[in-house]
Amino acid sequence: MSFSVDVLEGARIALGSLLAHRLRTVLTTVGIGIGVATLLAIVGITQGLDASFEAQLASLGSSTLYVAKQPWVQFGNWWEFRNRKPLTLAHVEAVRAQCGPCETVVPLVDEDEDLAFQGNELSAVNVTGTTEDWPRVSGFEVTRGRFLTQTDDDNLRLVAVVGADVADTLFPGVNPVGQTLRVGKKPFTVVGTLGRKGKVLDSSQDLVVVIPFHTFTGFFAGRRSVTIGVSVPRPELLDEAEDALVGILRRARQTPPGKSDDFAINRPEQLASTYQQLTGALYAVALGIGFITLLVGGIGIMNIMLVSVRERTREIGIRRALGARRRTIIVQFMLEAMLVSAVGGLLGTGVGLGGARLVSLVTPLAATVKPLTVLFGVGFAALVGLVFGIWPAARAASLDPVEALRQE
Amino acid sequence: MLIELTDIAREYVVGGETVRALAGVTVHVGKGEWVAIVGQSGSGKSTLMNVIGCLDTPTRGTYRLNGHDVARLSDDELADIRNREIGFIFQNFQLLPRETALANVELPLVYRGVPARERRARAVAALEQVKLANRMTHKPTELSGGQRQRVAIARALAAEPSLLLADEPTGNLDSATGEDIVRLFEQLHGQGHTIVLVTHEPKLAARCPRAVRLSDGRVVGDGPGAQVAFGDPRP
Ligand SMILES: Nc1ncnc2c1ncn2[C@@H]1O[C@H](COP(=O)(O)OP(=O)(O)O)[C@@H](O)[C@H]1O
Ligand SMILES: [Mg+2]
Repeated sequence: MSFSVDVLEGARIALGSLLAHRLRTVLTTVGIGIGVATLLAIVGITQGLDASFEAQLASLGSSTLYVAKQPWVQFGNWWEFRNRKPLTLAHVEAVRAQCGPCETVVPLVDEDEDLAFQGNELSAVNVTGTTEDWPRVSGFEVTRGRFLTQTDDDNLRLVAVVGADVADTLFPGVNPVGQTLRVGKKPFTVVGTLGRKGKVLDSSQDLVVVIPFHTFTGFFAGRRSVTIGVSVPRPELLDEAEDALVGILRRARQTPPGKSDDFAINRPEQLASTYQQLTGALYAVALGIGFITLLVGGIGIMNIMLVSVRERTREIGIRRALGARRRTIIVQFMLEAMLVSAVGGLLGTGVGLGGARLVSLVTPLAATVKPLTVLFGVGFAALVGLVFGIWPAARAASLDPVEALRQE
Repeated sequence: MLIELTDIAREYVVGGETVRALAGVTVHVGKGEWVAIVGQSGSGKSTLMNVIGCLDTPTRGTYRLNGHDVARLSDDELADIRNREIGFIFQNFQLLPRETALANVELPLVYRGVPARERRARAVAALEQVKLANRMTHKPTELSGGQRQRVAIARALAAEPSLLLADEPTGNLDSATGEDIVRLFEQLHGQGHTIVLVTHEPKLAARCPRAVRLSDGRVVGDGPGAQVAFGDPRP
């Protein structure tokens, strides 16, 4: 008998057997269903988190580097980082002059200051001092008014461009351009507003005030280490740019050979790896729970299949006497196990998708489930059935026909 | 010769002790013969039938079926032989309780890979032969004992085997119904079927053209049914 006939006949018998024991079938599917539901909900939430985080990272710019005294993500001795020589405008100039792959180079300094406008106040808002090319590095657009100019910087003008959240909060219903904004103790004239960029890991990028670099160093913290913002034309040039920057800065800072860099080149995707480290462990635990649930479901399948084999020993004997091969019996019982599991997988997929949707409704997490995940859920359940059905099916096939026929 | 059993032994080891169900049986059966195997309970009749039916393998001796040495065959080949060459009829019918009479009769043809339409036609024909065409869609529980045994006979016939093997086919039936079944066997024998029938009833064995008497796993008589059936097992 051919394998396809084995499968067709096996499927028919399996279906008949499941329908004959409806309650038992349903109870068995529940175990697998819960496992699949747990896994799918976790996968769904994970995919949602990843998708939203990727979008957030993209807003940071995929072709930018930030050279700073300290790395964004620090492991080890903070004292060593603190005692590094500051980066200065001279370093910015060296980079601008020597870095081939770098397109735009801007200095950045920042500090948190309190803001006030006509009784509206915002405390501890990021105030960044930079130059006219900053939008090309940061990816911000000017929506109203203008951005800072070289003249603003040369003359240490008290002018500011404000982020969307600052504009909305301090200037409700008012065009901020032309208004006088108090930054710390200094009155600044708002000359422009920035387009909205959204949040990264819950902190708004739009809560920002941008002022001329020399205005910042003149009126706020003068002797602060400068961050060098660099953009490259294409993301593929990032590595090349990083190599060039390391060479230029080591020379400029006279770092002795053999000593490690006393500065850090930061990339937005470093945040991604940090994020993955933080959340990876969480996912691992959650997935572990899902798999254990599936394991329990699988053992349930195995148990019920062993019961089924025992109940149907005589049937197996009859089939063997009439010419069923061992393989035919194996296929029959494997299909039965897989069918129960797949039904459980289908139920579990429904519940899991519902659960993921519920999570996205009641929490800020966006749980998206890709269509392939559904296939994965059902397929995975069937696989569990396959694995846990092997032993009972092998037992059924290895029964001695004479003994089997003798059974009551 | 269809069946050539030479010095067949079948031993079981139970709790360290060896039970000799068959202790050197030599029997030949030709095509078209109807042979009864008689003997007291425990004499080894069922064991012999299982060996002939390729359900069990002897621990000693050679068994040739249609000229093939059965000992050389793989498990799959034995399954195929049971499927093509043997039609089993059991004392307790051995029908699948959840399937209809028709589905039960079709089963050996399913395992032979016969297409559905042909399978059904052959099963219907077999049921007609045992006069059960009007009970095809009934399940075994909806049939009387005699009807069940006739379904089992139809199942054995549908596969058109070389050999019908019946183990106490009337053992679970009242005498009138049993008589119907014996008549059916007589009819099948008349049509040229080869039949080996196991029974402990001398009256039934006496109606067979030939009978083989077993005692303690040995052949103690082999001849015309009427002579061997009532014969003293120890001559
Ligand atoms: N599976 C087995 N294990 C141990 N002993 C067995 C087994 N099958 C049969 N026997 C023994 O073999 C002998 C013959 O049994 P059997 O062929 O069933 O006899 P019969 O059908 O003539 O009543 C008996 O003594 C029985 O107890
Ligand atoms: Mg017996």
